[in-house]
Amino acid sequence: MKEKTIILTGNPNTGKTTLFNSLTGLHQKTGNWPGVTVEIKEGFFTHNDTRYKVMDLPGTYSLTSFTEDEKIARDILVKKNADTVVVVADATNLERSLYLVTLMLELEQNVIVAVNMCDAAEKKGININIKQLENIMGIKFVLTTANKNIGISELKDLIHSSAVLTEKKSIKINYGKEVEEVISELQPIIKEFTPPYPFRFFAIRLIEKDAEFIQKLQKEGVYSTVEKIINKLESLCPDIENFIVEKRYAYIHGVAKECVTKEKLLEEKIEFTAKLDKIFTHTFTGSIIFLFFMWLTFQIVFNLGGPFANLLDNLFSNISIKVAQFLYFAQLPQWITSLFTEGIISGLGAIIVFIPNIFLLFFIFTAMEDSGYISRAAFVTDRIMHTIGLHGKSAIPMILGFGCNVPAIMATRTLETKKDRIITILALPFMSCSARLPIFLLFTSIFFKKNQGSILFSLYIIGVLAGMLTARIFKSLFFKHESSHIIMELPPYHAPDLKNMLISAWERTSLFLRKAGSMIFAGVVLVWFLSYFPLSAEYASRESFTGIIGSFLVPILRPAGFGNWQAGVALISGLVAKELVVGTFGAVLGGAKNMSIALSQLFTPASAYSFMLMTLLYIPCIATIAVIKQETGFRWAFIATVWSILVGWIAAVLFYQTATLFF
Amino acid sequence: MLRLNSAVNGYYRIVRIGLECPEAKRRLTTLGIFVGDIIEVTKSSPGPVIFKKGETSIGIGQGIAMCVSVIPLKLSRGRLI
Repeated sequence: MKEKTIILTGNPNTGKTTLFNSLTGLHQKTGNWPGVTVEIKEGFFTHNDTRYKVMDLPGTYSLTSFTEDEKIARDILVKKNADTVVVVADATNLERSLYLVTLMLELEQNVIVAVNMCDAAEKKGININIKQLENIMGIKFVLTTANKNIGISELKDLIHSSAVLTEKKSIKINYGKEVEEVISELQPIIKEFTPPYPFRFFAIRLIEKDAEFIQKLQKEGVYSTVEKIINKLESLCPDIENFIVEKRYAYIHGVAKECVTKEKLLEEKIEFTAKLDKIFTHTFTGSIIFLFFMWLTFQIVFNLGGPFANLLDNLFSNISIKVAQFLYFAQLPQWITSLFTEGIISGLGAIIVFIPNIFLLFFIFTAMEDSGYISRAAFVTDRIMHTIGLHGKSAIPMILGFGCNVPAIMATRTLETKKDRIITILALPFMSCSARLPIFLLFTSIFFKKNQGSILFSLYIIGVLAGMLTARIFKSLFFKHESSHIIMELPPYHAPDLKNMLISAWERTSLFLRKAGSMIFAGVVLVWFLSYFPLSAEYASRESFTGIIGSFLVPILRPAGFGNWQAGVALISGLVAKELVVGTFGAVLGGAKNMSIALSQLFTPASAYSFMLMTLLYIPCIATIAVIKQETGFRWAFIATVWSILVGWIAAVLFYQTATLFF
Repeated sequence: MLRLNSAVNGYYRIVRIGLECPEAKRRLTTLGIFVGDIIEVTKSSPGPVIFKKGETSIGIGQGIAMCVSVIPLKLSRGRLI
């Protein structure tokens, strides 16, 4: 069977993902484009005895090098050399979508256009004459409504007939006499350096001051000549970059005028989105609704997901018991039994137990994205987030961090710039996740019986302040000159598609399992190894490697008021998962019954609060580190780990030393 | 003439997108927002400003809104003047 490659691209909010899901169904996987963290989804479908591989690019408005998504989209388009590029256009806003189409044609791709969301356009009284569009632009168009599966088989037919063509389509927009002269003048100088890009595309990018293209010529040593030519043009037209964009839009406007007509409809039909926006983006009501939605997300993710997570937890406990029994009867050495039950099975359990919460979180997130609410939420929180050098879009993952840092870090994928993602990810681990709650409950119930609620509240506030401080510091240190400006298109509200939500949520969850799972698993097994060996020592005792490391930490922890090896061991096991801190105390203090008495002998109220501060602020767990590494790379994962440990230790020491001065 | 961040809800014509915000200018033009365009502010300050151009609603932060200069338009006999 023949195989052809199709690339799917388009502006954000054009229903591209829904169209991708309609084309490929469940036959899809997500991978990362080499060297970057941007996800590229791949799906497959078979049509007329040909197997089509469909690559879904990140939503983009243009093909410059100004944002990571645009750069990657362009990179893939050029390097993949796809048989056909399908541009998904929004039928309700065709002019905007045609801008990307013109760029694709300048890039000389074999383009077809799926004019999507035709049902919404019809409701707005918009009529599109695709025959006329095809005549003017010289490429094929098809009308689709992906969420209702309308036009999908026509699109497949069109892809099939288009993919056999070897001829690439192109367009030549007239940018005016002066610009055209410069393009001609550049030809003999740069032509040999432009491949794999078409010469004209490369030349226009240079005029638009695209840094990547400039750098390429600088390396070849010809940029100074090119710069002189472009400078001449700039003396005639100082704002040349915008002039080029305006020329493209002028062409598109002309096309749209010929091919798109609009009937006058009843006002209330059109104003539905505007009416909702008056409430959802209002400073007061918008904030209340946003907080309500976040609260609801928490409730669904943890209350609905909790029982399923417990079921999985019990399942793994039972499997562990059965395996232990089996290995006992098989008369295998004790360390093998321990490796399987306390290492491998509990390691797998630690990963899989996250699935219900993560799936639900991504399900809700997809609903928010699909419905158009997520961009409104970003606007509501924009003012607060500006005080820490971020913008509104960062608030959503940060709030979700109170539930679990792992999916919250993954939710930063909705942020456009690398800077915003990194700063948000660095601040996120300070949001007190639900796994830290058992530690706080244990200590407050022993040392702060009368003020349990207030102490708990103070810890959450300190976590938020530490996150804000971190964001501020890292913004000043690493991204001083990068400002955070929010510019977002606010798509019209519409009902999210259930099938799309399920597919997206599962696809994101499985990506988490594949990527973070291996590292969590390795971490759990490592802690098992350190707790089990040497063989002469009891599991997680003072003589075990964890105990030895715990003892080694004593001098470091002493200024914070908890200079005992048990606290050291508990903090180390807390790296695997914060839930393990309480369990470890139970193990090293002679069981749950004796734990309260033993803890009240090891800690004072001041050192107990100091210990809670440490557990609040130092890195939440291996899963969090794994996901930070997955999303940002080793360097930032390392910085986040060291930074949070430092912040935790400094806060604990400062608090304890100050408290001992007064009490 | 006034800055977009101080504009109340209503119709305006964009008369300048400041060169002091080159990135903002580039992003706005990519979205099809140019000097000379007529826009309708649907949510004014405090906080981000939301405006409509044709079928598109665009929200911009205060920083960018300060770089955009507009003049108010009035509706007279069904036409904006």
